[in-house]
Amino acid sequence: MDLAHLQPNPNESTDDTVMMRVATWTPEQQIARLLDLCEAQMESALSESDVAVEALIKSFSGLIEAGQALGSLGEKTPAEAGAADLSRQLDALRKQTAAAIVAFQFYDKLTQRLGHVRYSLSALAMFICDRAKSGEREQWKRMFSTLRRLYRTEEERELFKLMVDGATAEEAREHIQQSTLTLRTAPTGEIEIF
Amino acid sequence: MPGPSQNSRVILAVDDSASMRQMVRFTLESAGYRVVQAVDGVEALDFAKNSAVDLVLTDVNMPRMDGITLVRELRGLSTYKFTPMLVLTTESGQDTKQRGKQAGATGWIMKPFSPEQLLSTIARVL
Repeated sequence: MDLAHLQPNPNESTDDTVMMRVATWTPEQQIARLLDLCEAQMESALSESDVAVEALIKSFSGLIEAGQALGSLGEKTPAEAGAADLSRQLDALRKQTAAAIVAFQFYDKLTQRLGHVRYSLSALAMFICDRAKSGEREQWKRMFSTLRRLYRTEEERELFKLMVDGATAEEAREHIQQSTLTLRTAPTGEIEIF
Repeated sequence: MPGPSQNSRVILAVDDSASMRQMVRFTLESAGYRVVQAVDGVEALDFAKNSAVDLVLTDVNMPRMDGITLVRELRGLSTYKFTPMLVLTTESGQDTKQRGKQAGATGWIMKPFSPEQLLSTIARVL
């Protein structure tokens, strides 16, 4: 594989040269910069997907209105051979719409979860730059405790506990696979009347 | 499932997420309810004080005023003492659920909701 294109151009300012120019260079600052970068990338990706989802919702809204109009038309149609077929098609459309409404809600959940990750990265970036704090075990415990309160869904809490308890990447992957499987069989949440 | 007789019922849907508000609106309007929307507790409370609402469906985590505070504030108003108030949220913690119950919420619905289940729950509490 030709990796020539990855060689630094001496006329160009690379990340390394930029980093070397920083007068108060510390490893913590470099980690913080990378964490900030991850946060910014996530924000950018979320903003892009917001635009896409807005367009999808608009199109979905049109589909629902068309389905409702078709339904009203079906009710007015006299009982003919085609009426049963129309009714079947409308029923299928309703089921698809309901499934799409559930699926759309996962975007909202995704946005919320990534927002929590962004906040965690930002908090970590600030924390590690404070050498007095980041050198103390008790302060790390406090930071984890603060971040734990941030996670509000069951999936977030379980994953957080698993990782904080020292699970391996393999164990985490297994847990995620299991959660996804559960989600496929029961995609909607529980209801409780007080 | 509610039919055309539900036309006069007004539901106040409160969520800071535009996509969630849209999903709730699609679902409720398809069953004949009239839906008014608010982006947070402050906007919802302001609307509810000035207009009549038959049911409140609110998220928990929102800027300015969260859903639990909204329920508590509304329960403090004589006009909303007996109005059904459902919480629609991703919050699964028992502590938060308990706080919602104490504030006066009628029920707790976990996101994502199924349109059919949401409609049958609303029909049950209205």
